[in-house]
Amino acid sequence: MEFDLENPLENFQEHHSDAVSFLFLIESDHIPSQNYLQSLQTRDFDVSVRREVVSLISQFSCSFEQVLSYLAINYLDRFLANQGILQPKPWALRLLAVSCFSLAAKMMKTEFSISDIQGDGGIIFEAQTIQRMEALILGALQWRMRSITPFSFIPFFINLFRLNDPTLKQVLKDRATDIILKSQREIKLLEFKPSIIAASALLSASHELLPFLYPCFLIAVSDCYYINKESILQCYNVIQDVAIQGYESVFNMVASSDTPMNVLDHHFLSSESEITNGTTAAATALGLEKDLKRRKISDHGNNRTVQISQTQQYCLTDRARNI
Amino acid sequence: MDKYEKLEKVGEGTYGKVYKAKEKATGQLVALKKTRLEMDEEGVPPTALREVSLLQMLSQSIYIVRLLSVEHVDKTPKSATATAAAAASKPLLYLVFEYLDTDLKKFIDSHRKGPNPRPLPPSLVQSFLFQLCKGVAHCHSHGVLHRDLKPQNLLLDQQKGILKIADLGLGRAFTVPLKSYTHEIVTLWYRAPEVLLGSAHYSTGVDMWSVGCIFAEMVRRQALFPGDSEFQQLLHIFRLLGTPTEEQWPGVTSLRDWHVYPRWESQNLARAVPSLGPEGTDLLSKMLRYNPAERISAKAALDHPYFDSLDKSQF
Repeated sequence: MEFDLENPLENFQEHHSDAVSFLFLIESDHIPSQNYLQSLQTRDFDVSVRREVVSLISQFSCSFEQVLSYLAINYLDRFLANQGILQPKPWALRLLAVSCFSLAAKMMKTEFSISDIQGDGGIIFEAQTIQRMEALILGALQWRMRSITPFSFIPFFINLFRLNDPTLKQVLKDRATDIILKSQREIKLLEFKPSIIAASALLSASHELLPFLYPCFLIAVSDCYYINKESILQCYNVIQDVAIQGYESVFNMVASSDTPMNVLDHHFLSSESEITNGTTAAATALGLEKDLKRRKISDHGNNRTVQISQTQQYCLTDRARNI
Repeated sequence: MDKYEKLEKVGEGTYGKVYKAKEKATGQLVALKKTRLEMDEEGVPPTALREVSLLQMLSQSIYIVRLLSVEHVDKTPKSATATAAAAASKPLLYLVFEYLDTDLKKFIDSHRKGPNPRPLPPSLVQSFLFQLCKGVAHCHSHGVLHRDLKPQNLLLDQQKGILKIADLGLGRAFTVPLKSYTHEIVTLWYRAPEVLLGSAHYSTGVDMWSVGCIFAEMVRRQALFPGDSEFQQLLHIFRLLGTPTEEQWPGVTSLRDWHVYPRWESQNLARAVPSLGPEGTDLLSKMLRYNPAERISAKAALDHPYFDSLDKSQF
């Protein structure tokens, strides 16, 4: 009975319409209640508690997949929404972070032992204590541990875009994934459903990477039966800010760093993006973010013209059909 | 668990005792299922975590009995030292389900015995079978096998004419025993031939076989294959459907528990379900194919002509 975030129910069949509508039907059971956002916004204190635990979880997760911390933070938010803020004592926050992380790791079958994450912080909890905290979290979350997250909806929305080229799909998906991971720190996004966040992140990614196709992606998403257009627009605006913040921090990092490698990188990238033109800013920022990403972008840059004209055609025929 | 008042024990589920209980605050009736949770040093076992959460999610379909909540009871006395506590702790998991007052077995019994024996109305059989296939399709599309479908596990809301699947199969954390833990023998009547013959790999076909047996039982008001041992169970099946051959079912004679059996010819299935029309009989025969790969899927069954006369908009 495997579990991964893209596939919260086992063997979920992407094209099985019943399964898709089921995901949309139950997604709201997997997000914190609306009051949670309000209480975070009205009381500064709570925000700092959340921030503290989030950063502990991120520390534990640094040697694991990033989606692991995403899941653990989803548990954290739902737990805090249900229980209210616990004693803001350092040990209590640390216990909460350890337990959320441990539950997420178990759900994702990550090989790890509690002792791996206990060493560095000074406080070491007994197994019994962690068990009790786990049980408390499970109770608050009603054992709904197969969180439906934005990742669960990515395959569905990408299919709506009718891209035939697998590389293009992958690039879009990777960037949307990055945006979703980054956006979890932004509490304004807590008011949106996972599906809305997924759609907005994909739109944002396409706006950067495939600006020509953005308008027809927007139409495809807005025409989707399950989607509330207004929410999409609101969420998209927040997501855009998050995505841009991402670049800024990368640029700042580059600017403040004297490491020759970064400077070389930067130089190399600018010359590359001059050649590809079009999406210069996006390509530069992305490339700086991760070496891996840069490789993917430049790979598909080689035959970008062909792909875009192809997809544009799909888009046009789609629109013609709609008219 | 103080939230609930136990009223009576209503049965032995596949995984433990089942109680009828009342939620004190609301008066709502619920079914409580008690399961033992085997804790290890790392706390709640990952398999239990993944499986209960899957059950939790699947039960949000209207064709599955709703899991209302999960209560985790740690019986460790507070005064005990940590090591003693770890040794003595026997955490229990109560699964709290919605309560339905009857099941398909009782319902069929009431039509066979008692003051007013009568067949089940054909339209009701059709509706129950459709809902059963919907629920099974839901489980299968999410990779979950039930593995123990039987009339006792199909709960009914008689007033609304609703059927829901209960006792959903859990996988590794809670293995399906041959005998329930009170040594009551688990019924074999609905068990697929590949399971009875010890096939190492089985799939969604095992549930469809059970659905076929249940379908026939609703029509006949008695079990189609009432065997009292695994061997007898196979003979019941072979006598009606014929002893399977390698042509019909490639690989059958190399299954672990295959023996040499008498060579029966297949009987006319329609005679076993005389009141069922040709379309119903055709659907039944597709559910009872020997070769699991040829057996109809739950999703395909929903589109079978047998359901053409059913008003599907109500579901």
